[in-house]
Amino acid sequence: MKKIAKDKLSLLWKKIAENYQLFLPITEGKVVNFSIWEEGAEVDLNTLRTVNSPKNIIFPQTETYLKFKKEGKKLNLEVVANKGEYVVFGVRSCDVASFKLLDNVFLDEPIDKFYEESRKKGLIISQACLNPQETCFCNSFGINPELAPEGADISTWELGDLLFWEAQSEKGKNLTEALGDILEEVIEDEQEKLNQLKTGIKDRLKDLPLAQINPETIGGDLKEIFDSEIWDELHRRCLGCGMCTYVCPTCHCYDVKDYDGNKGGERFRCWDSCMFSDFTMMAHGNPRTTQKERVRQRFMHKLVYYTNNYKSYACVGCGRCTEKCPVSLDIVKVIKKLGGERNEL
Amino acid sequence: MEKIREEIKEKARQALASKEVDVILAWEKGELWYDSYPAFFTKEKDIDSLVWDSFCVNNLSKYLLEYTMTDKKIGVFVKGCDALAFNQLVQDNRVSRDKVVLYGLPCSGMVDPDKVRTKNLNQGLTEIKKSKDKLIFITKDKEITVPAHEVYYDKCLHCRYPNPVTYDQLVGETVAAEGVLDDSVRFSGVKELEELSCEERFEYWDGQFSKCIRCFACRNVCPACSCKQCTFDDSDLEVLGKAREDSEDKFFHLIRAYHVAGRCIDCGECSRVCPQDISLEKLNRKLIKDINELYGEYQAGLDPSAKAPLGTYKLEDADSFTVGEKGGKKREKNSKR
Repeated sequence: MKKIAKDKLSLLWKKIAENYQLFLPITEGKVVNFSIWEEGAEVDLNTLRTVNSPKNIIFPQTETYLKFKKEGKKLNLEVVANKGEYVVFGVRSCDVASFKLLDNVFLDEPIDKFYEESRKKGLIISQACLNPQETCFCNSFGINPELAPEGADISTWELGDLLFWEAQSEKGKNLTEALGDILEEVIEDEQEKLNQLKTGIKDRLKDLPLAQINPETIGGDLKEIFDSEIWDELHRRCLGCGMCTYVCPTCHCYDVKDYDGNKGGERFRCWDSCMFSDFTMMAHGNPRTTQKERVRQRFMHKLVYYTNNYKSYACVGCGRCTEKCPVSLDIVKVIKKLGGERNEL
Repeated sequence: MEKIREEIKEKARQALASKEVDVILAWEKGELWYDSYPAFFTKEKDIDSLVWDSFCVNNLSKYLLEYTMTDKKIGVFVKGCDALAFNQLVQDNRVSRDKVVLYGLPCSGMVDPDKVRTKNLNQGLTEIKKSKDKLIFITKDKEITVPAHEVYYDKCLHCRYPNPVTYDQLVGETVAAEGVLDDSVRFSGVKELEELSCEERFEYWDGQFSKCIRCFACRNVCPACSCKQCTFDDSDLEVLGKAREDSEDKFFHLIRAYHVAGRCIDCGECSRVCPQDISLEKLNRKLIKDINELYGEYQAGLDPSAKAPLGTYKLEDADSFTVGEKGGKKREKNSKR
């Protein structure tokens, strides 16, 4: 295990940025989001959760696939090159876990080549959560924010003025070696302190107000849940905006469209939201014509359909929808409703 | 507030029992201290979970749109800003006044959870009490009292109508309009921008709009956005693509601002819900300020029978859109158009 003094982090970033595009949680106004680091950027490693999840980096909101141009009778196609190698620093355990959930979909046959390339080129550096917040419930989905999350190439922990650093993958080891003259070895005493820190985080998790949320309480088969009366009431306050889907680290539905110019254009894909009235619009119209059906779709996908396909829930308990939904129609309430009394907090 | 909460519940129970209304629109409490959200009550027994506290920020008037085509009678609780929104929906012919029973709730402001978190007042919080213009944050072992205005939403600090401007029945006593500010404060953000050069202003708004993630929360929460189908949702029209594109982000916000111009009640909900902290309130206030200056002082939602400034035309109306003729220069007689 390695360490670095926190006041030397900008040196580290500078070094990483020489060879990679480096993404860090950066403050802009009142909002912290992952963006490309440049000298002088206002990095914020204290804010627990960025407004937008880092899924934005591995699966961009808008991504051009292809450019086309008409020349005479010929149509020239040009595949748009993906981005270069990049590092994302400061990814929380819940968000790291979300990448695995996206992998399940995009790296399943037929493999999404753009996504695959994006994942190959990325190196993920996780950051443990010292102070999980009241809106956090990652534990309910088997995530331990005090540990090195599966899927991270390097994991870090903050302790006082120090940042501990541990490579988890081959990629991570290579980068750690390349940063050899900036990182130092951890001494035994510090290792012991780090263990105490981890235990402390674990204890704090138990006291969180949403700690008892348990998706396993959702009983019944697909049809029973689909036909449940709870959807009749639950959807009423939904405003039909796309906030939950766009800040969610696991929502991954997208649309493919063209910018059609006169003699050429671009084909792109972009995030779409099941909350929108034109989602999955087909020639005959929209298969879900009411907000009730749309709300049901979102939560059925997260808690039932995805689970049937990949043996895992499509939620990591990050709490973004809990905090951001303008009318508090978040997944916690849905799990509680579907799980009945057993979820009483 | 605690006392009024019981009054509200009683009122709601009676209204349902006497069949004065078929459904009551109010708020309910979720898992967390700040989590008060819109709720629809049809049964007397459910009223127990109705809540009225410092977090009932949601405007319930907009939900009336769903009932416009039904014959249901609806009871709705409205704060000052919500009542303005209600009037605007009536003025826009989107809600029938006679289908609604309005229960007015004087409101001195709602608490911004972010401000509470910034002050670290949420640690171990068990209860929040309100006492006049102070809020008491109670934890297991201590009580911290803060002046309410320190934790109110910014939009509430600028509130000009803390008491509902229309209602059938008022619950509780009217509050002094302590948050009332004169126009110089209300429009100070706008004036700062007006003093910038055209290029600087463009840069400012470019920076703001490029943050947009197109979640449409600003539009969907807005009481002036009451179209059955928004033109931006009509994929056949292709006026707005789904891709994040700087020019289209601008296009969306500017078109929306102009569409709600003269109908925006300045409730600030768009800014509140924006996840990316875009200064939408400045955009709307700029249009309000311009309307005030060009067509006379106007507050949308104050009087549903009033003539909308941009919905009427008077010969002496300013015609500032003609370049070089600011203030509406009179044309000479017989001049060719």
